[in-house]
Amino acid sequence: MWRIALKGILGRKARLVLTSLAVILGTSFLSGTAVFSATLNRTFDNLFSDVFRNVDSYVRSTQVIEADFGAQERQRIPVELVDMVKQVPGVADVQADIQAFARIIGKDGKPLGSEGAGPPTFGGVGQEFKGALWTISQGRFAAGPNEVVLDEASAKAGKFVLNDKVKVVAQAGSREFTLVGIASYGDVRSPGGATFALFDLTTAQEFLAKPGFVDDILVSGDGSLSDEELAKAINAAIPSSYKTETLTGAQITKETQDQIGTALSFFSILLSTFSYIALGVGSFVIYNVFSISAAQRQRENALLRAIGASKKQVTRALMIESVVVGLFGSTIGLFAGIGLSKALSALLKAAGIDLPSGGLVVPRSAIISTIVVGLIVTVASAWLPARRAGRVPPLAAMRETAIEVVALSRRRTLFGLLLIALGTATILAVTSGASNKWLGLGILFVFSGTITLGPVIARPVALMLGKPAEKLRGVTGTMARQNSARNPKRTSRTASPVLIGVALVTAVAALAASIRTQLDGVFTEQFKGDYAISTDARGFGGLSPSLADDINTLPEVERATGIGLLTVKIDGKGQYLTTINPATVEGVFDLGLVSGTYADLTPETIFVSQKYAKNNNAKLGDTIQVSLADAQVKTLAIAGIYEFDDIAGKYTVSRDLTKDSTVINFDLGVYIKLKSGVSDQSARTVLQAAVDKYGQGTLLSKREYIDKQSGQVNQLLGLIYGLLFLSVIIAVVGIIITLLLSVFERQREIGLLRAVGMTKSQVRTTVRWESVITSLLGAVVGIVLGVGLGWVIVYALRDQGLSSFSVPVGSTVSILIMAFIIGVLAAVYPAWRATRVNLLSAITTA
Amino acid sequence: MTNPSAATATNVSKIYGHGDSEVRALDNVSVQFETGKFTAIMGPSGSGKSTLMHCMAGLDEMTQGSVTIAEIDIASLKDKELTKLRRDKIGFVFQSFNLVPTLTADENIRLPLLLGNNKGNEEWIQKVINTVHLQDRLTHRPSELSGGQQQRVAVARALASEPAIIFADEPTGNLDSTTGNEILSFMRKAVDELGQTIVMVTHDPVSASYADRIVFLKDGKIAGELQQPTPELVLDYMKNLGH
Repeated sequence: MWRIALKGILGRKARLVLTSLAVILGTSFLSGTAVFSATLNRTFDNLFSDVFRNVDSYVRSTQVIEADFGAQERQRIPVELVDMVKQVPGVADVQADIQAFARIIGKDGKPLGSEGAGPPTFGGVGQEFKGALWTISQGRFAAGPNEVVLDEASAKAGKFVLNDKVKVVAQAGSREFTLVGIASYGDVRSPGGATFALFDLTTAQEFLAKPGFVDDILVSGDGSLSDEELAKAINAAIPSSYKTETLTGAQITKETQDQIGTALSFFSILLSTFSYIALGVGSFVIYNVFSISAAQRQRENALLRAIGASKKQVTRALMIESVVVGLFGSTIGLFAGIGLSKALSALLKAAGIDLPSGGLVVPRSAIISTIVVGLIVTVASAWLPARRAGRVPPLAAMRETAIEVVALSRRRTLFGLLLIALGTATILAVTSGASNKWLGLGILFVFSGTITLGPVIARPVALMLGKPAEKLRGVTGTMARQNSARNPKRTSRTASPVLIGVALVTAVAALAASIRTQLDGVFTEQFKGDYAISTDARGFGGLSPSLADDINTLPEVERATGIGLLTVKIDGKGQYLTTINPATVEGVFDLGLVSGTYADLTPETIFVSQKYAKNNNAKLGDTIQVSLADAQVKTLAIAGIYEFDDIAGKYTVSRDLTKDSTVINFDLGVYIKLKSGVSDQSARTVLQAAVDKYGQGTLLSKREYIDKQSGQVNQLLGLIYGLLFLSVIIAVVGIIITLLLSVFERQREIGLLRAVGMTKSQVRTTVRWESVITSLLGAVVGIVLGVGLGWVIVYALRDQGLSSFSVPVGSTVSILIMAFIIGVLAAVYPAWRATRVNLLSAITTA
Repeated sequence: MTNPSAATATNVSKIYGHGDSEVRALDNVSVQFETGKFTAIMGPSGSGKSTLMHCMAGLDEMTQGSVTIAEIDIASLKDKELTKLRRDKIGFVFQSFNLVPTLTADENIRLPLLLGNNKGNEEWIQKVINTVHLQDRLTHRPSELSGGQQQRVAVARALASEPAIIFADEPTGNLDSTTGNEILSFMRKAVDELGQTIVMVTHDPVSASYADRIVFLKDGKIAGELQQPTPELVLDYMKNLGH
């Protein structure tokens, strides 16, 4: 059987290529993402071991607040520690380090780097230091309050040369400096695409942070002590009241690498989830190809059976073929994946994220898992068709044509319906109170049920979808319609990749549309002003609070207020507080106070949401202990309760809460109400001037602002469209393969049609419409499933405040259009092949 | 009065390979098929009878010579024009696999017209359907028809567009003799009552005896012809040819 199997494979190279193509596609995403993740990890590991190569000790505060999403806020340490550390025997050199927000404003007045979406924009200290992070490549380090040094990449991007004036925005506002030097970080021009503005120590403290404080101290030893001994000595020299710790260079390197590793692992998990979905979708294509090719070899297998091969032997021959195809496909997929990861890196580079080139890392685990998973998926996909092939009766050898037997068992219908019923019941149970945990299971049941029912619904749905083709194209349309319905199993398997992709995307689009509707409602309800200034720098930096104050002094403005965010610890857990200015908030930004007045909010009080009050049995006058990032503990009394918690969350405090601390406040949005009678035109001019002065933030009308807030959901969609793209590629390849095999199978029919007068273009039309109907079948069923799924997800999130469900009409229409285009594109090659059918041999083979 | 020619082959040669391995499937064949006649082409296997039919029907390219169908020189036609010629001017009946499995009998009969976006002559089509007794089978798919019924549908399709000429390639080769004779009677009727022109390739003397005239082919050349044949005459003639 081995010989027959191998001969069978080599005898039909085209089939081998087609089958392998499906395997290659699935596995290449797998290996591509694995290689890319490993390369990225290695790149950052190298970067940080370079950065701290000459740092022997690292001094920092032990006070740190950890909030959601891995965000960290560590307290600063007093600058006097720098001199203290310098005195420790064994220390050769020290550098005080500050990492804070600073944005370089380009010559065109626009900030360098993209707001929000791109890598962070830093300000820091640049000075001569033995363990230097920064090395000067042009000019010198900054000295004095009017000088700045930029990283090489930023200098190049902003076309700055030495002695240019550079405007920089930071905590203390916006200032102009003279560029005195250009520096590089380790081996790279700029680490990971971030921008850096470097100052001398005094300027950095005052401009970026708070005078008297720095973030950490880098120490270079004189070699007389080991790193561990040096760290110990420094720790011993600093009084414990400062609450500091000293790490060795190796420790800080490892810690930073681990942090990056954690951040990257989220990314890696996301990528590998996508690649497994792609592989799952691809397995439909593999299964389909094996089914069709087994059916087309029915006569050959029947002949083998007739001359004495056992069922087992026939099955084994096909299984052997699947092993060969699996190995062959996965191996090529592995290499294709390596190419793919290179393409990903190039894509990042094009997006402005310049990673130091450390060479590609191909971990052994990626090689093994790609080949093993590819092989398993292929062999598993081939198993059913192989068994079916073994069961072919020897008599089939005498039959005239080998067309896949299409018997739709009642059992299939029942089983499919049962699965859907089970899934629906599970989902209904969740909606009527059961835990959200069951939701995934319910969704899985509905999906599996739909796929099982696929062949049953494929025929009626394909016939329905084909109606317009018939109307439009006459008899060629009729044939396309009938062709897409003649083998419902095959059609539904071909449409499955489209179905899965479309269902996932529709569900997410529905979720996004619902969130958008909700946000729109929330902002319309709470934002009472006319204009807003928004910033995208979330979590790191933001608008200076003085911007709102400045705008308040403008004669055109009735009132302007800033809303910000503060990270604190409550009950030992990181929490976000909303900061407002109680003096100006009223009438511009509405919290929906149900008790208390804005005047009640002082640095000694706090407002909480109605929901919080209810859940925690809190009432006015109760106190909440809040630890700020600088370890100050404040005891705040509840002075008000508000209803609108969609934006503000659980806690709201006065922006003056942090006045006597080292914590820095930023506003994330400024809301503005104009005096009545002020024209839009003049308002825009004066407000824009105020914004330009700070070089930060975007001035938006109320409508624009609300659209933008809800538009942020589109970023989520962007990610999901990436997923759709993978499914699209696989779906297209799946349709191409099936059509090619169908065209091959129908050679005689096509030959006959050509003989009795079908033109080549009519042949192409028939194939094209069949393809379009198949693709639309997947899209239509997928949309139905996806909208249902979206509704379920939105429902499950009702506790997170999502209360409205919207059907994503726009996305649905574009998905349908795309499905149509997919159908047309996928048909191009098979349609061409169909016109190449040898007319004479098709009609004369008896 | 001699009828005008529905199809004419002039000095047609079909050569496969070249040099020493050259095979002449047709060697300088000239023949005419008259309008309104039923002609049979006979000859042993490899005599070139099918090749002649394919070349004359525009299904295969000839190496030399010319063919005219309904006064059109087909050698000069491009693929698209040739396809249209087959659709509008020629009817086909093959030995097997004559019908499109996804279309009904009625759609199969009208297929050449439908492909040409042509309504056709409804009165004529009904007459054809009546002639081959398919009235009550029209909505059936080929898989629901017997072998004989399938061939009747094929004959009806060949007739539906009132073509200049019908080519039939062993149309009864896959049928038992009773059903085969039935099909041949229909073809005879199509010529006698509907005035059609039929050229049939066959190796069966009985089938050939339904024709008005038989053209014999041997080794790619015309070996002779016979008018108003009977099976006995055909057998005798074939013996003389050394068959």
